[in-house]
Amino acid sequence: MFYVSMFGQYIGQYIKTRLQYRTDLVVEFLSDLMFQAVNLIFILVVFGHTQLLAGWNREEIIFIYGFFLVPYALFSSFFNIWDFNDRYIVKGEMDRILTRPIHSLFQVILERMELESLFGAITGIAIMFYAGAQLDLSLSWYDPLLFIVMVIGGALVYGGIFVMLASIGFWADAKTAIMPMMYNIGNYGRYPVDIYNGVIRFILTWILPFAFVGVYPSAYFLGREEWYGYAFLTPIVGIVFFMLAIFVWNTGVKRYRGAGN
Amino acid sequence: MMKENQMIYVNNLRKDFKSYSSRSGLKGAFRDLFTRNYKILSAVDGISFNVKPGEMVGYIGENGAGKSTSIKMLTGILTPTSGEVIVNGMNPHKEREEFVRTIGVVFGQRSQLWWDIAVQESFRLLKKVYRVSDEDYASHMEHVIDTLDIAPLLDKPVRKLSLGQRMRCELAAALIHNPPLLFLDEPTIGLDVLVKNKIRTFLKEINERYNTTILLTTHDLQDIEALCERVVMLDQGKVIYDGSINDLRARWMEGKEIHFQFKREVEKDELTKLSNGITVDWQPGKRKDLWIGHVEDNDEVISDIIARVVNELKIIDVNIKSITTEEIVRNIYEEGAVRE
Repeated sequence: MFYVSMFGQYIGQYIKTRLQYRTDLVVEFLSDLMFQAVNLIFILVVFGHTQLLAGWNREEIIFIYGFFLVPYALFSSFFNIWDFNDRYIVKGEMDRILTRPIHSLFQVILERMELESLFGAITGIAIMFYAGAQLDLSLSWYDPLLFIVMVIGGALVYGGIFVMLASIGFWADAKTAIMPMMYNIGNYGRYPVDIYNGVIRFILTWILPFAFVGVYPSAYFLGREEWYGYAFLTPIVGIVFFMLAIFVWNTGVKRYRGAGN
Repeated sequence: MMKENQMIYVNNLRKDFKSYSSRSGLKGAFRDLFTRNYKILSAVDGISFNVKPGEMVGYIGENGAGKSTSIKMLTGILTPTSGEVIVNGMNPHKEREEFVRTIGVVFGQRSQLWWDIAVQESFRLLKKVYRVSDEDYASHMEHVIDTLDIAPLLDKPVRKLSLGQRMRCELAAALIHNPPLLFLDEPTIGLDVLVKNKIRTFLKEINERYNTTILLTTHDLQDIEALCERVVMLDQGKVIYDGSINDLRARWMEGKEIHFQFKREVEKDELTKLSNGITVDWQPGKRKDLWIGHVEDNDEVISDIIARVVNELKIIDVNIKSITTEEIVRNIYEEGAVRE
C-alpha cells in the first residue's frame, strides 16, 4: 500500500515539475503527438509493400507492431534507466537513494519516469484497431482484461532485461554502449519469430525473451491457435524475468562501491 | 561497554577496495585482458569506536583518510568487508530500509531536495517517504523552519536558492522525521560566517532539545570547536585519536608562538645567541626578516625573550599567538600519530 501511495506521490510531483515549464510542456506535447503521427504513417507506408511473411499477412504484421508499441510505451515511461551507470553510480547519486527508506530500484524508477512516452501506447492501440478492422477481428468481453495482463507481462520482460543490464554497473564500470545494442535487439520482437532461424528464435524466446513483448501475445488476439501456449506464457515469463532482475539488482547493491573510489 | 547502550558501535570495521593497475604499452594491454594486477586497498583499516546517545562527535581526517567510506558504512550505503557495525541497535546494511528511517543525512555536496520544485513540495514528499504524521510534522517542523529562518524560502524552487539558503533547507529536510541520529558531511562547506554560525547554533539547539546524536565531518575545525566535545581523527584508514578536544589541545598547546618582523634580514645564529639560556625553537618565516619563536606558555619567558631581542635588533612588528586547533591537527598529520 505504501508503495502504491508513493507511486502516486511521485507522479504528482512529476506533473508539478513539468508544469513549472509551461511552454516546454506545450511544445513537448505537440512534438510528441507529431512524432506519433509520423510514426503511424511511416509504419503503414513501410508495411504497405509487404504481403506475406512466413505465413503472416500484412495486417497481422501491422497488428503485431501495434501491440508491441503498447508494452514498449509502458517500458519507456517507467524504465528509463539506460544511463543508470553514469547518472547514479559514477556521479554517486546512488548514495542519496540508499539513505531513503524505499527500495532502491523503485526509487530510481520513480525518479526517472518519463510519462510522455505513454503517448506511444495511443499510437499502438490505434494501429491495432486499424489492423483489427481490416482483419475483421472480434472482441470478447475478457479480451481487454487479457490485453492488460499481456501488456504488463511484456513491459516486465523489457524492464527485467534492462534492469539486469543496468545492474552490470554495480560490478564493472561498464560503458553504456551495450544499451543501444539491446534496444536494437528488442526491436526484433516486433516481427513474427518464425521468420528467423532456430537459434535466434530460441534466444528471443528464452534468453532475451523479446518475442513475449510483441509476436507471442499478439498471436492470441489474432486467433493464431498454434501460438496460444506461448501467448499465455507472457505474464509468467514477465514475472520470472522481473524477479530475476530484482535479485540481480539486490545482489549488485551489496557490491556498490560508491563514487570516487 | 555494552553495545546495546551505544548509539553507534563500531568494532574492527574494515572496507577493502580491489583496484587493478594496468600495464604499459600495447603488449601490456593484451596481458591485462587475461591476468590483471589486482591491488587490495584498505580504505578503512580496522577501526573501532563508540558514540553514546546525545553525543556530538567531530569526525575528522584528511582527504582519503577513510572518513567518507566509514560514514557510508555507518549509513548503510556500503557493505563492510569485515567487522561489526551496529547503529541505533540495527545493522545498517542488512536492515537498510528500516534503519535509514531512524537517521538523518546531510551530504554537503549532494542535494536531498528536488531541483525544480518548491522547497515545501520537497518537504511534503519527504514527509510521505518517511511516513511522518501531520501532527508530528506540524509540531516539529514549525520549530525547525523557524529556527533556521527558512519560511520565506519555502515557495521557491531549489535551483533559485543561494548555497547558504539551500544548505539550511537541506538541514531541515534531513530532520523531517526527527531522527535520533544525524550524519553531517561537510555541512558548512563554502558558506559565509553568518550562515555557518546560524547552522552551528541550530545544531546545538536540536541536540539540547531532542538529545539528537550528531556525527559531524568537516574540514572547518571551528565547526568542531563550536559543537563537539569529542573528536575522532582518522588517518590512512585508522583511528589515530579518539578523545576530548580539550585533551588534544592540552597535549599540543603547551606553547606560544612569538612572530617577529625585523627591520633587516636576520640570521638564526644571532637569535640563538640572544636567547642563550632560554629554550626557544626559532623557525624562519616566509622572508628573511621574519622569524617565529616557539616558547613555553610562561609570561616571564615570553617577556624575557622579547626584551632581549628588542634590545639588540630593530623590529617593526611583534605578535604573540596561541597555536590554533587547525595547526595542531596539521602537526599531527605531519607526524602521523598523536603523541602520548
